[in-house]
Amino acid sequence: MRYQNATAYRFLAPYLLIFSIFWLWPIIDSFLISFQATRTVPWRFSPTFNWGRLIGDPAFFNALKNTLLILVIQVPVMITLAIVMAVLLNSPLLKARGLFRFAFFAPVVVGEVAYSAVFRLMFNLDYGIINKLLNSVGLPSIDWFSNVTPAMAVIMIAVTWRWAGYNAIILLAGLQSIPQDVYEAATLDRVSKLKQFIYITLPLLKPIIVFCAVLSIIGTMQLFTEPFLITERGGPGGGTETLGLLLYRQGFRSLNFGYASAIAYTMAGLAIAISLVQLWLTRDPK
Amino acid sequence: MAGVLLNNVVKRFGDFEIIHGASLDIADGEFVVFVGPSGCGKSTLLRMIAGLEDISGGEIAIGGKTVNDVEPADRGIAMVFQSYALYPHMSVEQNLSFGLRMNGNPKADTDRRVKKAAEILHITDLMARRPRQLSGGQRQRVAIGRAIVREPQVFLFDEPLSNLDAELRVQMRVEISRLHKELGTTMIYVTHDQIEAMTLADRIVVLRGGHVEQIGRPLDLYSDPDNQFVAGFVGSPKMNFITARVLERGASGVTVELAGGTRLTQPLNGPAPEPGSKVVVGVRPEHFGHAGKGDADLSVTIDVVEHLGGTSFLYASTAAGDDIVIQRDAAEVSDAPEITVSIRKSYLFDDKGRRLR
Repeated sequence: MRYQNATAYRFLAPYLLIFSIFWLWPIIDSFLISFQATRTVPWRFSPTFNWGRLIGDPAFFNALKNTLLILVIQVPVMITLAIVMAVLLNSPLLKARGLFRFAFFAPVVVGEVAYSAVFRLMFNLDYGIINKLLNSVGLPSIDWFSNVTPAMAVIMIAVTWRWAGYNAIILLAGLQSIPQDVYEAATLDRVSKLKQFIYITLPLLKPIIVFCAVLSIIGTMQLFTEPFLITERGGPGGGTETLGLLLYRQGFRSLNFGYASAIAYTMAGLAIAISLVQLWLTRDPK
Repeated sequence: MAGVLLNNVVKRFGDFEIIHGASLDIADGEFVVFVGPSGCGKSTLLRMIAGLEDISGGEIAIGGKTVNDVEPADRGIAMVFQSYALYPHMSVEQNLSFGLRMNGNPKADTDRRVKKAAEILHITDLMARRPRQLSGGQRQRVAIGRAIVREPQVFLFDEPLSNLDAELRVQMRVEISRLHKELGTTMIYVTHDQIEAMTLADRIVVLRGGHVEQIGRPLDLYSDPDNQFVAGFVGSPKMNFITARVLERGASGVTVELAGGTRLTQPLNGPAPEPGSKVVVGVRPEHFGHAGKGDADLSVTIDVVEHLGGTSFLYASTAAGDDIVIQRDAAEVSDAPEITVSIRKSYLFDDKGRRLR
């Protein structure tokens, strides 16, 4: 048996080697770097240099506030929208189902730079279609990128547009795994379609909803592309700067790898903590 | 309680007709079993009565009222599904009470009905469990319980025992029979298992390819089948079919010659087929007797013998190559490779499978 294990590990060795060098070691190393003062040459060990700064850094708390704000508003809205889309996709009344499934999933496939550019154009103050639409119903134009609240809204709309369909497709798979005869039994029990949705579909879909929520929480904690490209590096004035963007700014603009690593570990810790709370709140009663 | 009337009921999926005009009058309190092979339309017919499938033509009436356009919940029926269709995230108690709670039924009445159903089905101890914590038999009881709490006029069962093992199937069969006696409600039961049909039914409806082949009491179908399909489907082991040729029609009936030369005369009231035409002689396994003690003798070669204790089944073949099964008392079975048996009772079918009486 031991010999067989050794053979198996020899086959696995190339993968394990690459995994260790390019995945495991950077994770460990970045943890170690977070305890180094990387603004000095040579680097020196100083546990409080980065972690101490983090606790009192207004830029960090601004980025944390922005990230959590997006998380608290955008994730529930997106998951709700995804559930509605999944239910519609699952409806036997829907024609051209394949086309809709593709259309809902397509935003994930579109390049991030391209979609960000399109969103910037759509929300442009002078010639963007959104302001044209607002004007057409008598509402004034909004300067989307010069004010924090509208800029934040654009980010949330963009992220929701990009990921709602993706979550809807996952939820659709969950919906389709619910046996049809459970609904037939409920129909015979004179349970309305709305009550069937609330008391049967949602509870049976709960594990998938939680899965999507956890994925979305992790994704939002790492949010980078949209504030980087759409609101131009977290603008206006850092109003949409997220933790991911702050990490980038510290690590790759200021080359302060120690602080960037501390931020990265804080992001990961928060994502794990929020996901665990989410799992605990939605656990099945024994 | 109520009877059920099907009048020329038709079901089409697009251009494809599944049920070709089924008519049936089920009396109040009767236990009727739809039986037939897979794809014969028995479940579709049941779902049409439930309202889960629209009907393409004809009329369905429950309790004297036409229900063609009545919602399933308003038909006064309750259905037990093959897969149980329990709500997996609810306890047994919640499964039983869900429908009543959703419809605003008074709590005291809901509790009373749930308690009564649980007592009838002996599931009182399981009320806090989820379906996944129950055995197949227990799930089946809960599914039946959910039907009972609705206090329906008609119970519909869609192959409710097909997911259970053989022993549990026998046990649940007896329980369903007991339940019918206790409640006295009309029950319509779908199965492909003719033993379930024979043991449970007041009347059996045999279906094939969307046609009703015969309706009758179990023993009537067994002893007086209308056609070769019903004769072969009802009874286990199934009826033996031996090919034959019409020789002549005489005063005492029609005489046929079995392949191998055996001659058999059958009384016949209706028209006889032309001499020389092909017919099929049907003989049930228990209708073979000892040589010289029946209407005709037949020499067979024994292939396999199955001893079931008191009874044995002899799997044999005739000189013409027809495979037959002979039922014998175990004590009467010898080791002889070839034996001669008599045909004590037989049925005659024409080349289209219709019974010649």
